[in-house]
Amino acid sequence: MRATKKSISSSIKTYILLTGVLAIFIGPLVWMLSTMLKSKAETYRFPPTIIPEDITFGAFHRLFAVQPLMWQWIGNSVIIAVLVALGTVISSSIAAYGFARFENRYKNALFLIVLTTLMIPASVMIIPSFVLFVKLNWINTWAPLIVPAWLGGAYYIFLFRQFIMGIPLELDEATFLDGGGRWTVFQKVVLPLSKPVIITVLIFSFVYAWLDFLGPFLYLKSSEMFTLSVGLQLLIGQTGQDFPALAAGAFISILPIAVIYFFAQRFIVEGVVLTGSKG
Amino acid sequence: MDRRKKIEDAKFFLFISPWMVGFTVFFLIPLTTAIYYAFTDARIPGAADFSFVGLDNFTALFQDRIFGKAVLNTLFFVGIGVPVVTCGMLLLALLLNADVKGIALFRTFYYLPTLVPIVATVIIWRLVFNSEFGILNAVLGTIGISKISWLGEAWSIKPVIVLLQVWISGSGVLIFLAALKGVPSHLYEAAKIDGAGAIRRFFSVTLPMISPAILFVLVIQTMYNFQMFTEALLLAEGGPNYASYTYVYDIYKTAFTELRYGMAMAQSMILFAMILAVTLVLLKSSNRFVYYEGEKRG
Repeated sequence: MRATKKSISSSIKTYILLTGVLAIFIGPLVWMLSTMLKSKAETYRFPPTIIPEDITFGAFHRLFAVQPLMWQWIGNSVIIAVLVALGTVISSSIAAYGFARFENRYKNALFLIVLTTLMIPASVMIIPSFVLFVKLNWINTWAPLIVPAWLGGAYYIFLFRQFIMGIPLELDEATFLDGGGRWTVFQKVVLPLSKPVIITVLIFSFVYAWLDFLGPFLYLKSSEMFTLSVGLQLLIGQTGQDFPALAAGAFISILPIAVIYFFAQRFIVEGVVLTGSKG
Repeated sequence: MDRRKKIEDAKFFLFISPWMVGFTVFFLIPLTTAIYYAFTDARIPGAADFSFVGLDNFTALFQDRIFGKAVLNTLFFVGIGVPVVTCGMLLLALLLNADVKGIALFRTFYYLPTLVPIVATVIIWRLVFNSEFGILNAVLGTIGISKISWLGEAWSIKPVIVLLQVWISGSGVLIFLAALKGVPSHLYEAAKIDGAGAIRRFFSVTLPMISPAILFVLVIQTMYNFQMFTEALLLAEGGPNYASYTYVYDIYKTAFTELRYGMAMAQSMILFAMILAVTLVLLKSSNRFVYYEGEKRG
């Protein structure tokens, strides 16, 4: 179709609007980058500069000097998020196979309970869970963050179940005829065909674990056990006036997620739209 | 045959056993003990020396003035915050639904803040909203507005938190975008032929067609705002002067500062009841404004 004068001017208006609103969404992130590369003195200047006069990485040196545990926190966060993602994929796919492929008279009722647990507000469970973890002696360990992930998450069971139900039943039956059992079907047929949903769940649960603040904040007490998020919270108290160092800390905690996002955007978008979850 | 069926049943429960164990240990047990503890004066979890106090926890709350403040603040975030954030999401989705070149790149960047860890978000907002050295006051200064202490004033902290919610509202925007993509274009064409303008088309075609998504986002956002806590804790520590002190903040204080676990459980149960009630009202009233395709309207 030939672009008319009117449609050109309307798309220019759209671009102006898109760019203007973009400033609200990207502006604060740009301000973080700018602050992070400034010297401490330059951040105290008014009116402030957007592009730093002298670009310096001093903030990162100060950050790691003030808080020697930074590397440890980063490592902790990575270990926890990886274990959460692995556990979620393994346990949720197994349970989902059960819900997708078996005939059982309690199946629908049980699946309804899975869906109901999705509706229960998380903060209603904060104190009850905390009391449970105290009794289990799990406070100041990573167990409250990792173990539940190895016992199936309702969102992810739902996702896997929907996907597995789309795999033709004939493939299962062919495996049974060849003498394979349920586990063989799951391992050799269902899992290889579920690659897209496995990747979605891996990425989504990793990102979720990395973003989690409240869990680690409530359950971890000694600073060498902290995740990066809880560590940064401690840092706000320690170096509240060193803006570049704080900005550098924020930048480090965003970096892994931003990298994953730019490479695997499709899977994150899919996960959000399918589960309707708050990312 | 019967034996085969039994083995199949056993296998079914074996496959779903991860979820059965997880559900029982991390959900059923804490929830039932919580209901029990709500009627006790337990102070330390697991300790044996607590007694049954009946409804005392619940009646005491009605006399607690700080608790009343927390309830009012939370009602602000639900009653005002939810509509504002949901409208914001819808407007952003409409904007990002524009059919122009490079729109995918805009979507990518609009969604980015949603993936920023909350502590980093708070650091960034403290930098932007800092009254002395923040960029916001600098920009406002160029049009002659004097410095405002955004995070330090009781009147401004709630709007700042709602604004923060819009900043990280990408997930809702995505859901609306998916819904907008699902509106059949022939409806717009038909409306155009009937002489409907852009605004009329929005209210008579777009809005009814995406109303299921609106209901969905409203419910999710309502649940989320009832539980508003982390933002208030990290951005303003419930202040200034309790202006951002929310319901869940009060639960947190009751449990971890005052160590009144019985009371905190009672508060959690009330929160649960409130969320349930409001969600049910939303769902119940929704058949007046939600349009499902293939359904006859009464």
